[in-house]
Amino acid sequence: MKSPPDDEVTGLPGLRTWRRVYLFVLVVFVAWVGLLTVLTRMYS
Amino acid sequence: MNALDYVILVGAMLGIAAYGIWRTRGRCDLNTYLKGARETHWLTIGLSVMATQASAITFLSTPGQGYESGLGFVQNYFGAPIALIIIAVVFLPIYRRLKVYTAYEYLGHRFDPKTRLLGAGMFLLQRGLGAGLTIYAPAIVLSTVMGWRLDATIICSGLLVVLYTVAGGCEAVNLTQKYQIGIIFAGMVAAFFVLLSKLPAGLTFSDTLGLAGGFHKLKAVDFSLNVDRRYTIWSGFFGGMFLALSYFGTDQSQVQRYLSGGSLRESRLGLMFNAIFKIPMQFFILLLGVFMFVFYQFERPPVYFNQTAWSYQALHGSGDKLRALDADFSSAHAEERRQLQAWLDARHAGNGAAEAAALAASEASHERGEAARTATRTVLRAANPRATANEADYVFVTFILGQLPHGLIGLLVTAFFAAALSSKSGELNALGSTTTVDIYRHVIRREASDAHYVAASKWFTAFWGLVAIAFALFANLAENLIQAVNILGSIFYGAPLGLFLVAFFLKRVGGTAVFWAALAAQALVFALCLTSISYLWYNVIGCAACILFSLAIQGVIGKAGAPATA
Repeated sequence: MKSPPDDEVTGLPGLRTWRRVYLFVLVVFVAWVGLLTVLTRMYS
Repeated sequence: MNALDYVILVGAMLGIAAYGIWRTRGRCDLNTYLKGARETHWLTIGLSVMATQASAITFLSTPGQGYESGLGFVQNYFGAPIALIIIAVVFLPIYRRLKVYTAYEYLGHRFDPKTRLLGAGMFLLQRGLGAGLTIYAPAIVLSTVMGWRLDATIICSGLLVVLYTVAGGCEAVNLTQKYQIGIIFAGMVAAFFVLLSKLPAGLTFSDTLGLAGGFHKLKAVDFSLNVDRRYTIWSGFFGGMFLALSYFGTDQSQVQRYLSGGSLRESRLGLMFNAIFKIPMQFFILLLGVFMFVFYQFERPPVYFNQTAWSYQALHGSGDKLRALDADFSSAHAEERRQLQAWLDARHAGNGAAEAAALAASEASHERGEAARTATRTVLRAANPRATANEADYVFVTFILGQLPHGLIGLLVTAFFAAALSSKSGELNALGSTTTVDIYRHVIRREASDAHYVAASKWFTAFWGLVAIAFALFANLAENLIQAVNILGSIFYGAPLGLFLVAFFLKRVGGTAVFWAALAAQALVFALCLTSISYLWYNVIGCAACILFSLAIQGVIGKAGAPATA
C-alpha cells in the first residue's frame, strides 16, 4: 500500500487522518456550545 | 506601580524584543524575511495566530465587556472553528502549492493584476485605518490610570515594536509572540486566582455563579432571531464564521503567520489549535469580568471606573453634583451589600422564598446604584465627551491596580503591553510584506535582488509603523474598544472574502466581473452602516453581495478572459 505523503500524516495519536482531526474539533465546538447553553439555562 | 513592577515591565519588554532581534540577526533573503525560515513548529504557529488576533484590547476591554454585559460576547467567536477548518481544507493547500508570499498574490494567479491590487489595496486600507488602534487602545487606558503621558506611551511602545519587526521580519514576530503570549496567559491566570481569593468568605463557587446569574450575567447563548440584537447564536455563528473566514483566510497579518509553517501539517495543526482554544479563551476572559462584577457587589467600586476623568471634573467642573451622585451610589451599594448578605444566608439555610426576596431587593438597590452611575456619566459627558466613551475598558485595570500585589501588577501591565506589541508586530509585518510584494515588486520595480526587496520591506514596515504611531497620537474612540475593532473589521472583511470565495469556487467568473462586484459590495456595506443591523451581518451580506454581483456581471459581460485554475 502506498504511504501517504508527509503532509497527510497528522502525527497525532488517535487522530491519524485529517478528517478525524476536523471531526474532533467539531465535537469540541459542539460540546462548548452545549455547555454554554446549559450554563445559560441553569442561571437565567 | 512601584520599582519592582517597573523592573518586570521594562525587563520583559526589552528582553523579548532584544531576543527576537538577536535570534534573527543576519537574515537577508526575502523568503526568510517574509515567511520565516519555513520550519516553524505548529505550536509556535498556533500561539502566533492567537497572539496576532488577541491584542491588548482583548485583555483590557473584554473583562469590562463581561462586567457590563455578561458572557453574551462569547457568541462572537462561534463561527471561528468552522471557518478555521474551511481554511485548513481549502485555502491553505492552495496558498502553499502556489508558494505565495501574500494571499493577494493568489488573486493575481487566479484573476488578473487589477484584482490582486484591489485585494491588497482593501487590506492596506482596512489595516492602515486600524493601524493605530492596537497601539492607541492600551495606551489611552494605561496612561490615564498610571498618570503616564499618552504621547510618550504611544511613541515608546510603538517604536519598540517597529524596531524588532523591521530588524527580524516574520521570524522575529513569530518568536517574540510565543513569549509574549506566555506572559499574557500567566498574567490572566494569576489575576483570576487573586480575584477568586478576594471574593467574600462564605461565597462558594456555586454562590458566585448563582449571584452572577441573578444579575443576568451568565446569558452566554441567545437563540433570538432578532437581527438588531448584536450578539445571538445566529449572528455569532454565521456572521462570526464569515468574519473569521475573512480574517484568518484572507487577512495577510494571519496568512503570513501560518504560511511560515515547516509543512502543510504544521500550518494546519496551528490553525486547529486556535479552532479548539479560541472559544474557551474568550469565555475565560469574559468570566473573569463576570466574577469581577460579583466581587464589586461586595466591595465598593468607584462610581465611575475612569477615576482620572472623574477626579478631574470633581476638581475643575461639576464637583458638587459628582460628589452628591457618589454619595447616592455609596448608599445604594451599602444597601445592596446588606441584602446580598441576607441572600447568601437564606441560600445557605435553604430558604428559597427568603433567597428570592433578598435577591429582588438587592437588584432594586443595584438599579439605584446604576442610576447614580448613569447620571455621573451624563454629567461627565456634558463636561468632556471623550472621557466617557469607554468606561468598561477601565474596569479590569482598576481591579488590577486596586487589588493585586506589587509584582503581579507589573506582570499584568507587562501582559497588556506584550499583547499590544505581539498584535502590532503581526500587522506591521503583513503591511510591509503586502506593500513590498503586491505593490512595489508587482507594479513599481519588477526585477531586483532579494537584498533590495528585503531593504524595501524594512522601509515599508517602518513606514506603516510610523503611520500607526501618528494615527494613535490623533485617534479618538467612540465605543468599547473590543467592539470598535470588530466593527471596523466587519465593514471591510465581507467583500474581500467574497473575492476569495469566487476565486476558489466559481471558476467561470473572471477578473473584471469580480473586481466590479467587490467594489459594489463594499459600497453596499458602507450603506448598511447607516442602518441598525448588527455589524456581524456585514460580513455575510458583503460576501454574499460580492458573489451574487460577480455572477450577475459575468452573466452580462460574458466570459471575459479565461480564468486560470488554481
